[in-house]
Amino acid sequence: MTNLVTKDRRHFEDLAVGEVIDLGHVTVSKEMIITFAREFDPFPFHLDEAAAKASLLGGLASSGWQTGGLSLRMLVDSFLNTVASAGGLGFTNLKWKNPVMVGDTIGGTVSIVELRRSGSHPQWGIMTLDFDVRNQKNAPVLTMRLANLIETRNPA
Amino acid sequence: MTRWFEDIILGEVFALGDHTFDADEIVRFATLYDPQYFHVDAEAAKQSHFGGLVASGWHTVSVGHRMMVDTLFAEEARLRGLGQEPGVSGPSPGVNSMDFKVPVRPGDTVSYELVVTDKRASNSIHGWGLLFNKITAVNQRGELVYRADLVGFSKRRDYKMPLKLKVLLALTKLPLIGPLLKRGT
Repeated sequence: MTNLVTKDRRHFEDLAVGEVIDLGHVTVSKEMIITFAREFDPFPFHLDEAAAKASLLGGLASSGWQTGGLSLRMLVDSFLNTVASAGGLGFTNLKWKNPVMVGDTIGGTVSIVELRRSGSHPQWGIMTLDFDVRNQKNAPVLTMRLANLIETRNPA
Repeated sequence: MTRWFEDIILGEVFALGDHTFDADEIVRFATLYDPQYFHVDAEAAKQSHFGGLVASGWHTVSVGHRMMVDTLFAEEARLRGLGQEPGVSGPSPGVNSMDFKVPVRPGDTVSYELVVTDKRASNSIHGWGLLFNKITAVNQRGELVYRADLVGFSKRRDYKMPLKLKVLLALTKLPLIGPLLKRGT
């Protein structure tokens, strides 16, 4: 059955290892940080400026889960919503390199590092994507590797 | 966990609690962080192999993180109730792996569990230890939703800073010598 949402998007066969996706960028506000932290990461160092200054972070910084979520959002907007993505299998080697502070602008690139057909599901390929997310000073803030399913046009 | 590094028992299982996901929160999270059609549009999601709306994996792990934080706070309160001074948790340096297995659909209840599998003193941050935590999440049918290997920081109660380091740190606080020393570290 044809997937009407993805039929005109790029499929597994249309991608190549080495493609680099520009993520664009997003500026992280104090309000964004606190809203996310209240719901998912209510440590004082993500909610309160005085507590944040006294912590290892040295100031109010976003939850690492929010930094990852924003990185994913940038990938969806710039790439995953233009290809026949069938969902993520998982992440490896997620590293929070530097905290994202109030007012920081993050962006960066994602590279396709591997493409292979699924052995058990011929309708899918597995693409491996490496994130390199940096702040406005070009300091690294997050790296991670995503394994994501993508529909094949011609199941082998 | 909110215990001193020295008090963490390897293999101890912490039930973090459970969470029922509804369609509204699945769409609300995904609209901000993972707006793929099968996470934000119930009608379009029928076209996908999921056959309907499913939660972003990033959403299910973010809820798992919240559950862990709540458990830390409860443990902190429990220790204070016993008249003990709780330990201190720090920010996480990273996650070794997260594997998404069975998708979470509206109405599913996910139960989270944490086990500390290993620990060691941090080489780079004095006075802190690293904890290696495994979180598993299962749905109401007992199916594995995801499993994650995470790294966390915990403060060392018994840490004594070597004299050499104490002197160096004191020097970095001096107005003239400090900036020069910091540049070198």
